[in-house]
Amino acid sequence: MKPANWIITALFFSFFMPLANAQSSSGDFMRSMGKMYVVVAVILAVFIGIVLFLVYLDRRLTKIENQINDHG
Amino acid sequence: MQRLIRQHWWKALGVLILIYVFIAGMLIPLKPGITIVTPSSTRTGGELIIEVEGYNTNFDQAGDAVRMWLKMDDERSLQAKRVEVLGPTRAQAAFIIPEYLPSNQKVQDFALVIDNPVDGAAVRPNAVLVTQDSIDQELGKQTWQNDPLTDLSQRGGITFPFRNILGETIRNTYFHVSLWLAMMIIFIAAVVYSIKHLRGFNLDHDYWAAALTAVGLLLGGLGLLTGGIWAQYTWGTFWSWDIKQFTTLIALLIYLAYFVLRRAFPDEAQKARISAVYNIFAFVALIPLIYVLPRLTDSLHPGNGGNPALGGEDLDNTMRMVFYPAVIGWTLIGSWIASLMYRSSKIEEQLLENWEDSPTVD
Repeated sequence: MKPANWIITALFFSFFMPLANAQSSSGDFMRSMGKMYVVVAVILAVFIGIVLFLVYLDRRLTKIENQINDHG
Repeated sequence: MQRLIRQHWWKALGVLILIYVFIAGMLIPLKPGITIVTPSSTRTGGELIIEVEGYNTNFDQAGDAVRMWLKMDDERSLQAKRVEVLGPTRAQAAFIIPEYLPSNQKVQDFALVIDNPVDGAAVRPNAVLVTQDSIDQELGKQTWQNDPLTDLSQRGGITFPFRNILGETIRNTYFHVSLWLAMMIIFIAAVVYSIKHLRGFNLDHDYWAAALTAVGLLLGGLGLLTGGIWAQYTWGTFWSWDIKQFTTLIALLIYLAYFVLRRAFPDEAQKARISAVYNIFAFVALIPLIYVLPRLTDSLHPGNGGNPALGGEDLDNTMRMVFYPAVIGWTLIGSWIASLMYRSSKIEEQLLENWEDSPTVD
């Protein structure tokens, strides 16, 4: 993995960790306001999923670019 | 298709629709509801004083106009003798429970109905359980003083329905349920391309099938994940081996194997042909796994175990105005991602062809 990819991965974990903490320790927070934060967590999960897919696509295009460069 | 994937209007349309879904889906308020009733059980004969906590209610604005009933069935109900408003979401009410109920059940459940001109009517089913010391249905019928529910108010403005336990998470209909329908549309498109491939062995159709299947798998995986998060706070656990959770997991694993299969064949034409056949089988398995099997047994999901799906009180007309655009929006975004994957496959193919023709290949 390239350094940039590690940075991206670290970013995702920083996104995920508060979510995981909110789920385990403070269920009251997630249940407050009529469980509104559950909807927020769901939207965040969808967003992160789409971004992860973008990362995959990005790496695939990088591979193609590298092939073009190798062949001149 | 070649022209369409270079055009931007449908991509922008998908984004705009989803922006509408996010704004409308998050900002339209819920109908007022009743979250807590204490005590929730009592005995016959005597006065019952309950404390009620509402959600999105404005008892203080309505003041003396707040009325409450304990509703036994469609014909019989008891009106509160006194209602005291304690705050915008809190109120107290006193009911006289008769000695005998017109019911032959030991424990009779009553729904609580609250009505006021500001919020409209709100109902909590099974709010109070009344235990009868001795049962005399006939006497109960004779002595019953009925207070019919009259002149119920209607709240103005657009709202989403309030459901117990669900609360605000009813909005997840647009961010979880819609993903599954979009996944289904994408998988149908993928299987159409697989069939097209088998009819002419055109590799373009195989690229489309692979790209669409990948996007369908993404939407399905997100559906499972978001369903788990939703279940954590409504069903109690992230994963409860509910029949629908289980069968969709199997269906997605079958689709995951599609990509394992593709990696196993170095020859492009062979890979394309076998994965097209496999995709058709995967789709044939998907339909009973998602739409048939969960309906045959009890499930926590609505629409299974005998109850109608996406019907009546779980998806009213206001929600439809956001839900169907959400399905279209996710489908368009999914198609956009799939078109990007198709284009990168196409570039890979063209590069390979160019290098095979040129003598400088290493």
